[in-house]
This record gives sequence, structure tokens and C-alpha cells, in this order.
Amino acid sequence: MSYFITGKLTNLKILKTDNQIQTLSISKSGNRKELLFGALFLIVISLFILDIFFGSVSIKASEVIRAIFTHSGSNFETIILKFRIPKAITALTVGIALSLSGLQMQTVFRNPMAGPDVLGISSGASLGVAFVILGFSSHLSPENVSGLGNWILVAASWVGAGVVLALIMVLSSKVKDIMTILILGIMLSSGISAIVIIMQYFSNETMLKAYVIWTMGSLGNLTSGQLNVLIISVSAGVILTLITTKMLNALLLGETYAGSIGLNVKLARFMIFICTSILTGTVTAFCGPIGFIGIAVPHITRILFKTSDHLILIPGTILTGGAVMLLSDIISQLPGSDNVLPVNSVTSLIGIPIVIWVIMRNRKYSGLF
Amino acid sequence: MTKLNKILSLNLLKIGYVSGSSRTVLLPPLNASAKKGELIAVIGRNGIGKSTLLRTMTGLQEPLGGEIYYDGRGIRGYSRTDLARKVGYISTETVKATNMRVYDLVSLGRYPHTNWFGKISLIDHEKILDALEKTSMSAFRDRLISELSDGERQKTMIARILAQDTDIMVMDEPTAFLDIGSKYEIFHLLHQLSQKGKKTIIFSTHDLQMAISQSDKIWLILDNQLREGAPEDLMIDGAFDHLFESSSLHFNSETGTFSFMEEEKGSFYIEGDGVEKHWTEEAVRRAGFSISATKTTPYIKVISGTMNSWKVISEKQEKAFSSIYDLISGLVENEHISI
Repeated sequence: MSYFITGKLTNLKILKTDNQIQTLSISKSGNRKELLFGALFLIVISLFILDIFFGSVSIKASEVIRAIFTHSGSNFETIILKFRIPKAITALTVGIALSLSGLQMQTVFRNPMAGPDVLGISSGASLGVAFVILGFSSHLSPENVSGLGNWILVAASWVGAGVVLALIMVLSSKVKDIMTILILGIMLSSGISAIVIIMQYFSNETMLKAYVIWTMGSLGNLTSGQLNVLIISVSAGVILTLITTKMLNALLLGETYAGSIGLNVKLARFMIFICTSILTGTVTAFCGPIGFIGIAVPHITRILFKTSDHLILIPGTILTGGAVMLLSDIISQLPGSDNVLPVNSVTSLIGIPIVIWVIMRNRKYSGLF
Repeated sequence: MTKLNKILSLNLLKIGYVSGSSRTVLLPPLNASAKKGELIAVIGRNGIGKSTLLRTMTGLQEPLGGEIYYDGRGIRGYSRTDLARKVGYISTETVKATNMRVYDLVSLGRYPHTNWFGKISLIDHEKILDALEKTSMSAFRDRLISELSDGERQKTMIARILAQDTDIMVMDEPTAFLDIGSKYEIFHLLHQLSQKGKKTIIFSTHDLQMAISQSDKIWLILDNQLREGAPEDLMIDGAFDHLFESSSLHFNSETGTFSFMEEEKGSFYIEGDGVEKHWTEEAVRRAGFSISATKTTPYIKVISGTMNSWKVISEKQEKAFSSIYDLISGLVENEHISI
């Protein structure tokens, strides 16, 4: 919170003497944050470009540039324009969406371990998708749908995410213990998996295949129509998140204090609830369940910026989330080889050490976050 | 006294819980009031509804009936933000968040005054620094809240409601969990804020002696009513006798302390003077004897000076003790003889 006044303060000529040193320290930490934002922004841009250069088909850098800036109509151009650029945009969007969703959940539940996957929100979204793919038609699987079908798929995913989130919110108002909530989240996930398995058992082969491919998670299979839906929905989610910035800061105090300083706690919870459902649901519908980004990125951001203020954490998480997801995608392409890893496994390998670190640190402090 | 004179008044207020369709009303309708700059202690046994009353007053819980007036205007007439500018609240719950510094926590007190994004303006910044200074937490502004002691954390919370800039501060047991030094410091701070800062402070406490000596007014919550008044008024009325159901607990209106009433073992006259006499009396009382005003035998003679000694003198014999501890042991052992 402190650094936003930097500009005004340093311009002030009259200052109390004892405040002078403090003012200096404010502007110093302010500079650090501005530098970090600048650096992160450059990293995101660089990773975005790198992500376009790497893929399962090895294309020379000069060819990539030629494909982007000239219209030669070569095969390379098709790969770059129709496949790699959309995939990089998807990676960026997915990273932003999941990370913001995780940040909001960690603040609302005052739980460092909260995240879309851990609390079963992603599972809920999967259930929504499973209902559509396995219950109705394999034509509605993400591979095949178009137009209105995209929105049906996404809406089912939102509802699935929303139902689980609502359940967790009700349970968390009755149980305050962090670990209990996490266990409840795991139970919900397991329950949902069981339902999905039953649905798989009764579905036909085409439906099953479509569903299994979807669960592997992929950033590269989106049609341009789906990419539009993804971008529109995630943008709406990001705008909603920005609107809730002040509310999130108040919620750091816990709901009682937040209420006492004038926050409409119910409204705040509802807005964040809608926002998280949209962000998680949209990503899960098109890219499958992608783990550990939502839980790990907010922690990386907190380590980098050393603040609890959401005015800084939200833009910080957007940049960090985008960067981490782009990096995961680059790694999953295994640069230099023809093989491609499922992006899910890469995000898990990046995220899990961070989550373990957070657990160990919390053992020591016995505090939250 | 006009209503405007009162910054806060409770009018036939009913407090309690609603769960589902059932309503649990905790106490009979309450009437009480507070004026600007008053330090008010809310006293009552555990579970009687002190916290519920405080939460209801701050708008965190719906009243089940009656009305709460701030500056003569009903609480329902205030928006959330207006109410948060009028009354601040501290509970026993601690705030935990990583990377949160003292300055950040205090700045959240500015919440009802800041814009949509909660951006801290220069005026907000000045108010935050002022709040830190008044609670002598200026040196701690960049300290992480996870690294504070209990006393420092409580002062930070008080700085937070100072930054909130409200007329009224409501605190639920602000000195619970504190060591004695911090407890006195907090009481002193509250006293100063009400006297110099003209804040109305309403706090619940179990520390009756501190409440009686420091507060301007006491809201005494009993099972059948709320009694308010200066601590001294309530003592003269004998109101504190009803505080606990236990009949063996006796409130001494002269000293303002509680003591266990036990079957009296006998009485002694104590001869002597000074601090030695005072503490000898205390010890003899604690042992279950009363102090008689007229000289009877056996009596206790306190000889002060370099060689303190205590003598129990009866017609037949005289017994000397070198400390109060020995004296009391002697009295208790010889109980049957001395009476």
C-alpha cells in the first residue's frame, strides 16, 4: 500500500525531519517494485516470443520471422500463425486465469494451500465438461465443438466449478481449520472422480476417447472460436478481479474485521466466487485440468514483491502467472527434440516444490499464508 | 440530558442469535448510553453476551429488537461505510497474513475513507503516521506483523482503529492474553485516548480492579438487567454482589476487590503501624480471620524496624515470629487454642 504514494511524497518540499528517512525507504522499495514489474514484463514478452520459436516441428529462427512478417504461404507460416501463436496466447491467458483464481482463493479462505485444483474447483469444472461430453454428445467435446457449442461447454464448466466452490464456501463457514477444509476439498475431488468414472463406464467409445484426451490437458488444441471465448471470459474475470482489489485487501483481516471497516462481506464473497468460477471454469473447459499453477504462482509473487497488498499482488500475479505458464509450455515442447510432454506434468513439476516449501514454512510460523 | 448529548445509546436493545427459524435472545432488553470521551468498561460473567452486545453495536450482527442510536440516528440509517467511519472494532481474533507490515495493517483502517481501489492518499498517510505515533508504534512501521509480540500486536490493532478515525472504539477484551506490563500499557493508552483524544471507548474486560480504577463508567451486565454508572456508584449500590452466582464470592465495596467468603475462624486486633501492619492485616484476612477494631486478646503486635517481628500476645503467653509466613502458619496451627 505504501508505495503508491511515492510520487507525491518525494515531490513534497516540506517534510517532518523524522519522516524524511522513512520517505526515502518508501521510494526505495517503490523503485524495487517498479523494477520488478519492468523485469517481469520483459520476461513475459521474451518467453512469449521463445514459445513461438519452439515446437515439435523444428523451424529455423529466420523462417519464423519470415513467416510472421511476410506472406509466403509456406507450411511454416501455417504452423506459426495457426498453431504456435494461438498456443502462446492460450498459455499466457491460462497462466493469468489460474494464478489470479488461486490468489483470490488463498485470500478469501485465508489459506495458503488454497487453489483451484486443491479445493476441487477444477474437478467440479471437469464434471461439468464430463456431463456435456459423456452425457450428451462427443460432438460437444472441445475438439469438435464450434460456435454456440463452445459457450455451452464453458457454461457447464462454470456451473461445475461454481457448485463445488459454493459447497466449499458453506463448509468453510462452519469449519475454520485450514487442514480440514483441504481434506474436504480432496474428498470432493474424489467423489467427483467417482461420478466421472461411472459416467465413463456407461458412455460409448467415441465419447470416452474424447473425454480422456481432454483430461490430458493441452494448450494447443483450441480453435480460433474457442480462443475467442477463452480471451473474452478471462478478460471479464480479470476485470472483475481488479474491481475486487480493495475487498481482497480488507479480507486479509478476516471477515469480522473486514465487516467492521465497512466491507459488504457477502457481496465481496459473491463477486470473488463468480470471478473464480469464470476463471477456473473457462480454462478447464478448453485446456483440461492444469494443476499447481493456481496454488504456486501467488506464492512466487509474494516472494518476489514481499507485500500483502493486492494493488501490487494482482498485477504481479498476472505477470508471474503468464511467465510461468509460457515457461511450462516451452519446457513441454522439449526444445531440440520431436517429442512433446503433457503440459500438466510440467506445471506439476514446477509447482510441487513450491507448495512443499510453503507447507514447511508454515510449520515453522504456524501462521497463515 | 438530551439525546444529542449522547454519542451512543441503546434503547431496549435485544441481542442474540438467529439460526434457521429459531431466535435465541440472550438478555432482557438493554438500555445504556455513552458520551463523547468516555472510557466505558463492559463487565459480566463469561457467556452472558458481552461479545454479542459489542458485535451488535458495531453492526456486525443484527439486533433482534430495539434500537441503537449513534448521534441520535438509528444504526439502520447508516450505510456500511458511514458506520465504519463512526465506530471501529477490535476483537480477540488476531490478524495473520504473510508479508503484511505494521504500516499495511494500520493503513487498512483507512478503508472506509479511501477510493474504489483503496489507494492511500497523502492525507491517509499522515493519519496512519499519526496513529502509529499515538500508540508509540512508529519505530515498528516496517516490522512484519508475524514478528510482533502480543502487546505490540494489540497496539497495532489500536493504531488501526485510530487510523479509521472513528468517534467510538469498541474492543472485546483488549487485554486478554497480555502479560501484566503490556496490560497496564494498553489500559494507560485507552485512558489517554479517551481523555486527550476525546474518543469514546467501550471495552469488555474481566479485570474488574482495572476497570473500576480506570473507567469513567461501567456497563454491568447481570442476568436480569444491564446496570450502568460510575464504578463508585455501582459499588455503593452493591451492584457487583450480583455479578457472580457463587454466594461464597464476596465483593468488598471499600477496596473494590473480590474475596472468597469462608466461615470466619476468629478475629484479631493488630497493633502496630506502617506498611508492615497493612500487609499483616491482608495476610491475616486471607487466612480466614477478621480484623477487630477494638483490642481483644489474643492480639497481634507488629514491631517494625530493622528487625521485623510479629508477636501473638495472649494473657497467658507471648509467641514471636520472624516473618508473616511464620505468623500465619502459627495462627492456623493454633486455631483451636487462640479462639
